[in-house]
Amino acid sequence: MLTVAGLTAGYQAGSRVLRGLDLEIADGETVALMGRNGMGKTTFLRAVMGHIVVSAGRIALAGRDLVGLRPFEISNLGVGYVPQGREVFKDFTVEENLLLGVLGKRGLPARVPDRIYGYFPILAERRQQRAGTLSGGEQQQLAIARALAGRPRLLLLDEPAEGIQPSIVQAIAETVRAVALEEALTVLLVEQNLDLVMRLAGRCLFIENGRVVGEADPARLRDDGSILHRYLSV
Amino acid sequence: MEQFVIIGLDAANFMLALLLVSLGLVIVFGLMNVINMAHGEFFLLGAYTVVVVQDAGGSFWVAFFAAPLVLAAVGLLVEEIVIRHVYHRFIDTILATWGVSLAIKQLVIVVFGPASQQVVGPFPDPVDILGTVYPSYRLFIMAVSVVVAAGTFLLFYRTKLGLAARGVIANRLMASSLGIDTRRMDRATFAFGAALAGFAGAVMAPLMSVDPQMGVGFLIPAFLSILVGGAGTLLGPLLGTALIAGSNTVVASLWTQVVAQIVVFSLAIVVIRAFPQGLTGRRG
Repeated sequence: MLTVAGLTAGYQAGSRVLRGLDLEIADGETVALMGRNGMGKTTFLRAVMGHIVVSAGRIALAGRDLVGLRPFEISNLGVGYVPQGREVFKDFTVEENLLLGVLGKRGLPARVPDRIYGYFPILAERRQQRAGTLSGGEQQQLAIARALAGRPRLLLLDEPAEGIQPSIVQAIAETVRAVALEEALTVLLVEQNLDLVMRLAGRCLFIENGRVVGEADPARLRDDGSILHRYLSV
Repeated sequence: MEQFVIIGLDAANFMLALLLVSLGLVIVFGLMNVINMAHGEFFLLGAYTVVVVQDAGGSFWVAFFAAPLVLAAVGLLVEEIVIRHVYHRFIDTILATWGVSLAIKQLVIVVFGPASQQVVGPFPDPVDILGTVYPSYRLFIMAVSVVVAAGTFLLFYRTKLGLAARGVIANRLMASSLGIDTRRMDRATFAFGAALAGFAGAVMAPLMSVDPQMGVGFLIPAFLSILVGGAGTLLGPLLGTALIAGSNTVVASLWTQVVAQIVVFSLAIVVIRAFPQGLTGRRG
């Protein structure tokens, strides 16, 4: 379970992007975090990952406090991170990218697990290809596969649908949903793409000025226009 | 015929010696983007390891294995105290490592004095090769250089440890977010570069006058080789040292060392002007 309480953080001392953010996600749950640009969605994921300094508050994964730990330690406690813009290692092959997902993990054998190629058959085909030559959708799948290779218990996805054609978004949604079910994975999804949120998330939280200000059932998002209007329209 | 063989052997010898001396510099510059001005002094400390071991009655071979270990320790220390504070501040790395180089050089003068020391290498008897007589120790150096360069290449491009190190270089924050301890990688990479420098110092010591200034003589052509070849891959310095050492030896044997220096520097300027990233450097 991920518990966040009173989280305050930002990029420089004085500028607070997150202002007392609270949320709780149960094991095995898939939650979408939505909100307008600049409200602190990406900053929140980066705070969980240990990329930025937390000035106050608590982040706990299964009872373990994550605040103050370095990213590699947080990763080793079971947090998988798929950043905005994917950040695959462009000069390395698909296989090498996936290997980098396991090399730093204590207790995992230093090879790409077979199940990863099972989830993403296209990556098996492209195994020896340089990641930089893949299409955007394939790179996104690689970034997700790389995070999954490290056997996380919590998967952080930052705008996985950004710049990817709808059919691939659907395929990615199907795969993540299946993996989450099979591996009892908790997923925290930051996304603007309504289609992906509705396909994947069981619960939707809205963030505004660095705090969680509302919650909705994703199934109702499309019908109840007032929710979207309130939290998402500019 | 015989003269060509000698020139060829000399050129190959200089090239491989230069490659051996440059490798540590290449690792630290190419992978960590740190210009290590103290590389010459790490080389120096490797040579003085031989002096210390032989003064204590030990054989050359003890120093041969001890020098890289000693310098790995020195590298860890320097990384922890100085280098880790100046990563990503490119100009500062030059100043900081220059300071380290001055400190080490003065320390060596305080401990050993400014005078030159002699060390004795193995294989004193020359061998016949292709109809000429050639010092066997020089052949040994060439073999060592080939083995070390190949080993370094395999380590960084064919092992999982090397992949992790290159991952950290390519995208530090992402590598860290995947669970890789980037600090440990930094330490290991810098210590490895220092160990290579120390090893080169120990191996070259029997051919050189071991004195506090010996680091400088090889440092300039080593930097030049990297600039000419490019430091992005290990192929770059290979090409760079071949060009620098080859042209130097050939011109020096036809005319004089002075002409050779002029030709080599002019050549380097032309190459660097035409290929600012080095011969193997990527564009854009």
